[in-house]
Amino acid sequence: MEKRATFSNKFLPYLLVAPQLAITLIFFYWPASQAVKESFFIQDAFGTTSSFVGLENYRTLFADPYYFHSMGVTAVFAIAVTAASLSIALLLAVQADRGIRGKMAYQTLLVWPYAVAPAVAGVIWIFLFQPSLGYFAHLVRALGVDWNPLLDGNQAMTLVVIAAMWKQISYNFLFFLAGLQAIPKSLIEAAAIDGARPTRRFWTIVFPLLSPTTFFLVVVNIVYVFFDTLGLIDAVTGGGPAKATETLVYKVFQDGKLGGDLGGSNAQSVILMIIVIVLTSIQFRYVERKVTY
Amino acid sequence: MASVLLDRVFKTYPGGFTAVKGVSFAVPDGGFCVLVGPSGCGKSTLLRMIAGLETISDGAISIGDRVVNKVEPMDRDIAMVFQNYALYPHMSVYDNMAYGLRNLKTPEPEIRARVSEAAKILELDDDMLKRKPRQLSGGQRQRVAMGRAIVRKPAVFLFDEPLSNLDAKLRVQMRIEIRKLQRRLKTTSIYVTHDQLEAMTLADMLVVMNAGRVEQVGAPLELYERPASVFVAGFLGSPPMNFLDGIVEKPGRVRLTGGGELAYDAAHFGPPLGAEVKAGVRPERVTFSNDGSGLPFALELVEELGLGQLVHGRVAGGDFTVALPASHNAPSGEAQHLAIPADAVHLFDTKTGARL
Repeated sequence: MEKRATFSNKFLPYLLVAPQLAITLIFFYWPASQAVKESFFIQDAFGTTSSFVGLENYRTLFADPYYFHSMGVTAVFAIAVTAASLSIALLLAVQADRGIRGKMAYQTLLVWPYAVAPAVAGVIWIFLFQPSLGYFAHLVRALGVDWNPLLDGNQAMTLVVIAAMWKQISYNFLFFLAGLQAIPKSLIEAAAIDGARPTRRFWTIVFPLLSPTTFFLVVVNIVYVFFDTLGLIDAVTGGGPAKATETLVYKVFQDGKLGGDLGGSNAQSVILMIIVIVLTSIQFRYVERKVTY
Repeated sequence: MASVLLDRVFKTYPGGFTAVKGVSFAVPDGGFCVLVGPSGCGKSTLLRMIAGLETISDGAISIGDRVVNKVEPMDRDIAMVFQNYALYPHMSVYDNMAYGLRNLKTPEPEIRARVSEAAKILELDDDMLKRKPRQLSGGQRQRVAMGRAIVRKPAVFLFDEPLSNLDAKLRVQMRIEIRKLQRRLKTTSIYVTHDQLEAMTLADMLVVMNAGRVEQVGAPLELYERPASVFVAGFLGSPPMNFLDGIVEKPGRVRLTGGGELAYDAAHFGPPLGAEVKAGVRPERVTFSNDGSGLPFALELVEELGLGQLVHGRVAGGDFTVALPASHNAPSGEAQHLAIPADAVHLFDTKTGARL
């Protein structure tokens, strides 16, 4: 049974949750409601007047082929970053869990990239892959690839995926490692006696038992890719070349902040918000049911 | 079916700690061997070495005719029941039991036959086979863990304190079931426990361990009646054996350090005169004398067990317990005298602890 606190004063509990509520209302609900409201208005070029236009902003948006292009870019970006960062993090965590020499140092080093700001991470990768100076660019060229992410959309996408993934691996690694360490050792031993070789042990015992962790990370990573990669994309490609790396959130920023189309940008935010809410609730409703054991 | 042989087995951890120090014994084919000792005595480590979960630092372990030191756990033809059962939580009971067979690529119809056979032996019904481990009670989980072991028809069963997570009543019940099961299957079994009662009741062959070494090996009653050391004497039996310090005065007589004399059977014990000894007396071998003769006993407390009584008091400056059957009335009054038959007295060397 959950132990519940009881308060003699009626107002004290409300007072105690007030700071949290205030933060949520002021920083989350208020901007969100503003976005919804603004999405029904069009502002003039100088931002002095705005007039109510109903669903006009949404209609324009859905008539814009670039918007659908941007959705496609986001989907590719989200799937690539999530899949790659989760699998690499899992591989590293499994290695770390085996109790290698210098485990602590290894773990600590792996966590560092998470502390790097997205834009800084972006700059590091720009340098590494800079067509004429970058070290990795040099290596890739040596392999016979005509490396130029400033011109080639696919290469630009690869670059932002690597940069976004690199940052996320640390975070995923920590959770996977904790998840692995929570699996009782006797289960693995029982499987070893039961005749399962290490690979089979991993896929039949360890991986299924990690599924709650994996599920949680999938949700967190998708949300990360949707929102937190703005700074990174801005630093690395600026959405280019030819909008090849323009994700939904970057388009919001591009159209609203740089393009001055506040109404249209707000309409995009609202849609983005809906997409994330829908994705997350689908995940929680249907996927989570399968991962509890 | 196979015998298990341990030949001067050592386990030293990288830090330098030696958990098992030269253990040798042989479990005959079909035998039920119980390793018993206090926690930290190395018994679980030894079992895990037999299972292949720990490496062997020195010596040899053989299962059947084969030395298995370098053999993987899966190739040793063993099955193990863990203390926490180690059931796979994401699999149904059926899949838990089938897992080992599936790894061996056994055809599915045969798996079904063997699982249902095991389920029948262990009284697990079809509904239970469909459930997940978390939906089972402790006793049922224990049965599934045993089921997982028996479907594989291994040469040796290893049990690592399998009953210690159960409540007292269930523990007694499962203890009997394990014994019956082993009699029926006749599979060589090695069982680790710290509970001396469990050890006494289950074993054909008892191995008492202390601080990484074997103290004594033998049939449970043999160990109970002729303990080879003070440790074995004190470890087996509940309430434990009473010990009194003294010096051998003349053949058949010990003068107790705390005052008083004790007669022993000089035909069985031949200590040198003047030797410092520990005299051991089992609580159930002692009665109270009615005529005021014998060792003085200062009564402190009577525990009523229903099955009998435990009378606690002090003799010659040390604690002493007398176990009386239910038919006897506990004496009243603090000052009592004990009647200790000479053949109830065991003598051990005070310094080495060895039986004299």
